[in-house]
Amino acid sequence: MTDVAAPPRLAAERIGSAAPAPDVAELERTWHERGGFWGWLTTVDHKSVAKRYIITAFGFFLLGGILAAAMRLQLSRPENTVLGPDRYNQFFSTHGTTMMFLFAVPVMYSLGLYLVPLMVGTRNVAYPRLNSYGYYTYLVGGLFLWVSLVLNTGPDTGWFSYVPLAGPEYSPGKRVDVWGQAVTFTEIAALVAAVEIIATAFKMRAPGLSLHRLPLFVWAQIVTAFMIIFAMPWVAVASQLLPLERLVGTHFFNPAEGGDALLWQHLFWFFGHPEVYIIFIPALGIVSQVVTTFSRRQIVAYPAMVLALVATGVLAFGLWVHHMFATGLPQMGMSFFTAASALIAVPTGIQFFCWIATLWSGRPRLEVPLLFILGFVVVFMIGGLSGVMVASVPWDLQVHDTFFVVAHLHYVLLGGGVFPLFAGFYYWFPKFTGRMLSPALGRLNFWLFFIGVNLTFFPMHELGIDGMPRRVYTYLAATGWGGLNLLASIGATIIALSVITFLANVAWSLREGDVAGPNPWEADTLEWGTASPPPPYNFAELPVVEGRGGLWSRSEARPVVTGLRSDLREVLVTTVLDAVPDHLHFQPSPSVWPLLAALATGVLFISGIFTPWGFVVGAALVTLALVGWAWPRGKELEDQRRQEQRA
Amino acid sequence: MIAGRTTIDVSDLPTTTFGHRDLAWWGTIGFILIEGTTLVIVAMVYFYLRRNFAQWPPPRTAPPDLLPGILQVGVMALSWWPVALLDRAARRLDRGAVRRWLVVCTLFAIAFCVLRGFEFAGLNVRWSTNAYGSVNWAVLVTHATLILAEALEIIVITAVFFTPRVTERHFSDASDTAPYWYFLTGSWVLLAAMIYLVPRFWTSP
Repeated sequence: MTDVAAPPRLAAERIGSAAPAPDVAELERTWHERGGFWGWLTTVDHKSVAKRYIITAFGFFLLGGILAAAMRLQLSRPENTVLGPDRYNQFFSTHGTTMMFLFAVPVMYSLGLYLVPLMVGTRNVAYPRLNSYGYYTYLVGGLFLWVSLVLNTGPDTGWFSYVPLAGPEYSPGKRVDVWGQAVTFTEIAALVAAVEIIATAFKMRAPGLSLHRLPLFVWAQIVTAFMIIFAMPWVAVASQLLPLERLVGTHFFNPAEGGDALLWQHLFWFFGHPEVYIIFIPALGIVSQVVTTFSRRQIVAYPAMVLALVATGVLAFGLWVHHMFATGLPQMGMSFFTAASALIAVPTGIQFFCWIATLWSGRPRLEVPLLFILGFVVVFMIGGLSGVMVASVPWDLQVHDTFFVVAHLHYVLLGGGVFPLFAGFYYWFPKFTGRMLSPALGRLNFWLFFIGVNLTFFPMHELGIDGMPRRVYTYLAATGWGGLNLLASIGATIIALSVITFLANVAWSLREGDVAGPNPWEADTLEWGTASPPPPYNFAELPVVEGRGGLWSRSEARPVVTGLRSDLREVLVTTVLDAVPDHLHFQPSPSVWPLLAALATGVLFISGIFTPWGFVVGAALVTLALVGWAWPRGKELEDQRRQEQRA
Repeated sequence: MIAGRTTIDVSDLPTTTFGHRDLAWWGTIGFILIEGTTLVIVAMVYFYLRRNFAQWPPPRTAPPDLLPGILQVGVMALSWWPVALLDRAARRLDRGAVRRWLVVCTLFAIAFCVLRGFEFAGLNVRWSTNAYGSVNWAVLVTHATLILAEALEIIVITAVFFTPRVTERHFSDASDTAPYWYFLTGSWVLLAAMIYLVPRFWTSP
């Protein structure tokens, strides 16, 4: 038996000067993921799961983009007949649902699932099987939504599914139920990812990587994870109450029986507004990493940057009512939420000034990732300024439900989310694949995207001020909206060309791109201290961190951790504040149970919308899968015992 | 051997820890936060909808029966004792005591499920009658899913402890049952006060 009561010893007591080199071949065998289809299904390597997440999310981005292109084609001229009203309704609802729930949120936390373990210097995420379950649940939800759309059962009441339109009276059939349950899958996946990131970032950091040395990207992921934990349950409750209203006749939203339609809006937006920041805050983390690397200096005012991230995360929960200004709220409430909406610009402003100061005082290199960051500054600022406009109640009432809001939200989400995301792709692609993306194609990608986004969405401000409503499938020539709509559609074509350029760049670079080496950008953070792509065990020897970030502050001695077993999947757990080594933790090996549990979850939620018995059968299957998952057996049980008997 | 390297040797660190030192504990706390938020939301829905009623419960609806509610709260309060003993036994790796208290806790979890059945029967309203009925059922069902999850977990851990498959890791898992259990039962005390007392003592706005 090991000494379970032993307190963690200070790192200083353990420092030695001679130790055996790690058995890399054995590490390779221990952490190796099986090949082939079975290996693909059962992997628990955080990098494999996260890459899958990123590729799947990008696949949904393309699908959502195709819907956008179809809508822009339809609106390119008055009284067009490419899409009828019913299909148009399904397209804009599925476009919004896809982009928010299947692309933007998952792609941001999946970057965290890939990078956080590497940036904190550990071998995997805290709960590898749960991570795999999260991915499969997300995949089932996404496929369910899209198969439903193909079967003409796609959601048609907007990405927010307001009642009473989405209620049983005005939306019979299964379309809204599909929306509710597809969203439920994505909530589960996001919540799982959030718990993974918090536990990994708090408990699995390399010795010396105390919280005040943590890279800002990891801080951003931590803040986002807490936001997911406190925001996602709101839409989880909403997306269960709505199908219940439709399937078993409850009255939460039915005013005739004491329910309340506005309750839906509160539930949805208490999630929906933080959701924007769940997308935006990881992007801020990307911006900080890219600015640091390409300025070749540490970020200016690191404590202010961390506090700004936390403040943004907290304030984001106090803004939801600004989505409801047109619902007739008390004057006091509207004044409060106007002020809160303006207030959140302060921490973002602090970060902008710190980035500018970092670039100003550094030696900036205008590589493609930094180019996208500069694009972010311009595009997001325009979105921020129109945000200050709609934060004002009188203005909001004038442009509510018009294309002005479409312009604003796309400036914010593309500027604040997709530009930094492209920067992140160009920045970390060498780490993911071992190859550099072509800078020439990257610059073309950037300029097409920058021009396309502005050409598509800037005219929409004017269209909105002219009174063109959102979510209409066509308009009359006499409105005079044809010219600006055509301009927007031309812009959308340029965005499509930009995305095609990006895909071509990826395809070409995977084969022909320059070999990256471990640290092609000469960056600071720990992920650049291992091979590109990293081996399954991430680091042959876990690093010991001596300063902020990790690599720039390394001394000549380059201290490392020794004593972790290489014949077992063993990871080091450290203390929360100072990352002092605390104990050794055994990690599970690849397993098919997460997949089976996700499929059972699929049966539970999907069959449940056709018959209440679906819930019963699904719950029984989930129970079986969880028991199978938890039951100790086989080699894993032996390995666990071997690990515990070491002392 | 490589001479001259600076290393931190972790080979003699413990492999089993309890409470906040343990990685699984953080997962448990994460799910407590998620589920706690969910319970807070359904409670807010309860009070939000209550504003729409001149009388709570609505006319011709009896408030929920007190007896199953009182029994449930009482049994849950009583269960803290074996759970605390289970936690202590697990921390000293006392397999016999852990087995004993796991069995007791399993019986308590089953009792929660049975009593929840009586609580549903004693609500005196259907979910489809009006918003009052809907939200009462929502609160009970949401909390019931947590009871079922905990019951499943404790049954599986108990089963493992009666096989030769048990490892030190399972002692830590058994100990981790405690914080979730306190959350599950503690949250119900608050929700029960809402479900059973609001319709009796706060009947009109």
